[in-house]
Amino acid sequence: MILYDYILSPDCYKVRLLAALTGARITLRPVDFHPGGEHKTAPFLAMNPSGTIPIFEDDGLILTESSAILTYLAAKAGPAWLGDDTPAMRGRVAQWLAFSQRLSASIGKARVHDMLNKPADIQACRRAGTQCLREIEAALVEQRLAGHAFLAGDRPTIADIACFPHSMLAPDGGISVDPYPSIRLWTRSIRALPGFIEMPGIHRLHDLKPEPGPIPERV
Amino acid sequence: MALSRDVPPQVVIPTFVDGRELAVWRSQSGRIAAWDDRCPHRGMRLSHGFVRGESLSCIYHGWSYNEAGLCQRIPAHPDLVPPEAIRVPTVAAVESDGIIWVASEPASQPPPTLTGLVALRSLTVEAPATAIATAAGMPIDQDGALRPDLAGIACVLLVQPIPGDRTVLHVLVASNASPAAQAAVSRALEDLRRRVESERLAA
Repeated sequence: MILYDYILSPDCYKVRLLAALTGARITLRPVDFHPGGEHKTAPFLAMNPSGTIPIFEDDGLILTESSAILTYLAAKAGPAWLGDDTPAMRGRVAQWLAFSQRLSASIGKARVHDMLNKPADIQACRRAGTQCLREIEAALVEQRLAGHAFLAGDRPTIADIACFPHSMLAPDGGISVDPYPSIRLWTRSIRALPGFIEMPGIHRLHDLKPEPGPIPERV
Repeated sequence: MALSRDVPPQVVIPTFVDGRELAVWRSQSGRIAAWDDRCPHRGMRLSHGFVRGESLSCIYHGWSYNEAGLCQRIPAHPDLVPPEAIRVPTVAAVESDGIIWVASEPASQPPPTLTGLVALRSLTVEAPATAIATAAGMPIDQDGALRPDLAGIACVLLVQPIPGDRTVLHVLVASNASPAAQAAVSRALEDLRRRVESERLAA
């Protein structure tokens, strides 16, 4: 399995993260997204005419949408990440996978505007991003009332992986995440999962690691 | 300032009191504290930091502070006992009825009693408290609260003004409300926020 990858891309990180959480072995091929624009060159457009990354290749199959890649990787390496095989769960997971496109179109766009100077209607992106975060917060409030820590149920699924990175990286695009207590606890639950890996801007929970040395004694 | 349920052990959150930025955090043993949200070293927000045991550490260079706000460890100088001058200013914080309260001045009144209620959620509204009171059709009472019925449930909305003409509502509902009724209140709050903010945009 090959992932054409860019370290700063939240959509590529979703794939790296699910691979780490499921123990799947994937080969990373770094793409010079910025400043090289390698994803817009002929060899890449031959694989993915839409000119986006991630691109995922396995056994002749090419997938280019992060939600499709998550679905494939989960089915192959960790079916529990698809959620229970019930109509309601399948629907909920598909709902959040589709919703994650709105996060990319708002928070993701605000982020590349602020970090890489890409053109965007930044105020409109930030308004739409805030609206998305409010919707996640409201959904998580109701999940907590049902005793569930994750978006689609009481254990993590690809729905969480699809929505988690942009929810944490919103400040990169000038969108505050301070007003969302349930999002804060949800992102902590994800970062506490065994096998969790970081990306720039999303760090692990340092509180889970022991103090690196003794505290000097006052005399 | 916040709901107790939103600050479990080892969590730190940013908030404000009278425009002052605070980091509110809970230690592993459950102790709550409210400090200035600035590391004395480089000014990094301590609310980005992390809690180990009974101390809060800054995310930037790992300087850690004990429960009195005193710096106890500088990882880059592991053998140094930090001077007592390196101290984070603290403010008094208390918890009652599922709410964390921070004193705006040393002689503040004790928090109001809120028995028979359960904390539901906090939400931020992009409008001043007066606009929310107008939309709710009632004045803010002497406890700093609005007491409307939402989705047919008696609610208490504790009003916390924050900078930028924004308001945080800390919402409690009757403790006999079922989870489904509480979810209905949560949706009614979203509706209240939409009405307040759209009236503000129109004006």
